Amino acid sequence: MDMRTYLPRFAAIALASASFLAVTAAEAKEITIWCWDPNFNVAIMKEAGARYSKSHPDVTFNIVDFAKADVEQKLQTGLSSGTADALPDIVLIEDYGAQKYLQSFPGAFAPLSGTVDYSGFAPYKVGLMTLDGQVYGMPFDSGVTGLYYRKDYLEQAGFKPEDMQNLTWDRFIEIGQQVEAKTGKKMMGFDPTDAGLVRIIMQSAGQWYFDKDGKANITGNAALKASLETVGKIMSSNIYKPAAGWADWVGTFTSGDVATVITGVWITGTVKAQPDQSGKWGVAPIPALSIDGATHASNLGGSSWYVLESSAEKAEAIDFLNEIYAKDVDFYQTILQDRGAVGSLLAARSGAAYGAADPFFGDEKVWQNFSDWLAKVPSVNYGVFTNEADTAVTAQLPALSQGMPVDDVLKAIDAEISGQIQ
Amino acid sequence: MNNGFTRKASAILTYGFVGLMAFLSVFPFIWMLLGATNSSIDIIKGKILPGSALATNVSAFFTQVNAPLVFWNSAKIAILATVFTLAVSSLAGYGFEMFRSRHRDRIYSALLLTMMIPFAALMIPLFIMMGKAGLINTHFAVVLPTIGSAFIVFYFRQCTKAFPSELRDAAKVDGLKEWQIFLYIYVPVMRSTYAAAFIIVFMTAWNNYLWPLIVLQSNETKTITLVISSLASAYYPDYGVVMVGTILATLPTLAVFFFMQRQFVQGMLGSVK
Repeated sequence: MDMRTYLPRFAAIALASASFLAVTAAEAKEITIWCWDPNFNVAIMKEAGARYSKSHPDVTFNIVDFAKADVEQKLQTGLSSGTADALPDIVLIEDYGAQKYLQSFPGAFAPLSGTVDYSGFAPYKVGLMTLDGQVYGMPFDSGVTGLYYRKDYLEQAGFKPEDMQNLTWDRFIEIGQQVEAKTGKKMMGFDPTDAGLVRIIMQSAGQWYFDKDGKANITGNAALKASLETVGKIMSSNIYKPAAGWADWVGTFTSGDVATVITGVWITGTVKAQPDQSGKWGVAPIPALSIDGATHASNLGGSSWYVLESSAEKAEAIDFLNEIYAKDVDFYQTILQDRGAVGSLLAARSGAAYGAADPFFGDEKVWQNFSDWLAKVPSVNYGVFTNEADTAVTAQLPALSQGMPVDDVLKAIDAEISGQIQ
Repeated sequence: MNNGFTRKASAILTYGFVGLMAFLSVFPFIWMLLGATNSSIDIIKGKILPGSALATNVSAFFTQVNAPLVFWNSAKIAILATVFTLAVSSLAGYGFEMFRSRHRDRIYSALLLTMMIPFAALMIPLFIMMGKAGLINTHFAVVLPTIGSAFIVFYFRQCTKAFPSELRDAAKVDGLKEWQIFLYIYVPVMRSTYAAAFIIVFMTAWNNYLWPLIVLQSNETKTITLVISSLASAYYPDYGVVMVGTILATLPTLAVFFFMQRQFVQGMLGSVK
């Protein structure tokens, strides 16, 4: 055969492959994601993206990392300006700020109810991203709280691990006094400019700075009152080592100066970063208040993924989040092992990493415990002004430590919040 | 004798005070240098002695950050902003001083008033403009709003007051056109003013944070300030790596300053030879 008979065939094949390439090019989708922390959220999203790309080779990921405050600033500017192409497809939002964005920018985020099976997640996580019956967002990392305690110090003071279970706050303070009397160690580190402990105790009793309708709930808030009373007692009984700022607070337990740490599960990696303390730590549920609705479960921090309604890749973005974050139990094992991330999918506990006994904690199955507590965290409405309320509480902590009556402290907090959120 | 003692005591007091102040201003810088040699945990614990983690920190910085790209982005923005700002704002300063008109001072006051508007108020309108112009996520969008700098116009106008108008008159008599006077007489005579403005604009552009943060959207366009911000805001920041980044980010501004220090001081004194 001569060349002339081949040519048309070549041309046809070339044309067909060209159009085939054009079709795949049109189908290839890039999902753009904004989040913070290269070693945590960014790394976890890369893992999630890699898993999704295996079954969906046509989808690629562009994960852009900014500081948390920077993500918020950019999101706020992008949404306020109405410049849709300036926004990503998926953005990470801190849970405390979720309602602020959902309520300030109605229609900006894609509702995922109907697509995502939210019954599989910790209820408090779903509650904080619900607005007018619609659920927005994909629950991500949890700050479920625990009471980390030094078994060796407590044993010296005469307490066994059983004695640390199901404590009340009053009992916790009593133990603290005995620990100091017998070991010379303080019970906990406390930063008097950080209201995190107040939030932990308040949410453990099912209340927040705001009620279900988002109205400020301060002077009549039994949980907040009891929480401030507790923090006041901790300060007046002097069972804490004062810390100035976050790094200093972390130093109180990494240096072995305190007997317990009460905070979110994300601290585990930092606790475990001191190999010489291996085997000396245990984890118990946090102490409870003695009021109605009090529990041993609470939360500190955490964030979740949201899909922008204006996104050109909205369908792919939702499907991606749903396939990985709502269904892939194995994914949760990987991020727990590699990054110490505790997700909010309750089914994750059935995996190997969650079932493992941790020698650092004397072979306790700490992840199973955290997973139990995760499901029990009371659901509250973080409202629009959590940060403002938190500032108001922090401002009153010195007065509280100087013995100002708690009712007066509540009134002062209430006055400041009402002034700020008008 | 007594007099000598008083003089000595006052010298000790003076040098002691100056030394203390110098220490207070240099200490953060020293701490940054020492921090780069320590591990994150040592930095948190407050160690202020040299450590042995420098190599680890440097290599961690270069694995975590695409340094050549990020520094190239910062340099590109700073250099473009400096060149354009100096060109545009010095022309404006020259014009405001040299050309008399009935409305000159009113326009000038209006221009100075724009310095009173906080950037936060301009941010969203500016962002919308950039969005409409299709410039979001370009370095051009970072540079563009800065080149008409009211402060640099003001600075050039003030310095131009010292520019001898006889020079301009003589040049005119010799038949130079206005642009030639500007280019061949004004610019060389004012070079210390240019040097000082260069340093100011370059440092502002290099350290600029908020506006690049708003308009730059991808890892490929980010500047060093944004990258450091991201590193420092991790849940568990590696402060050693942050220190290495901060040192590297400080070097260009230091170099520019030392390179032009003599002219800068002259420019600040407003001298014209």
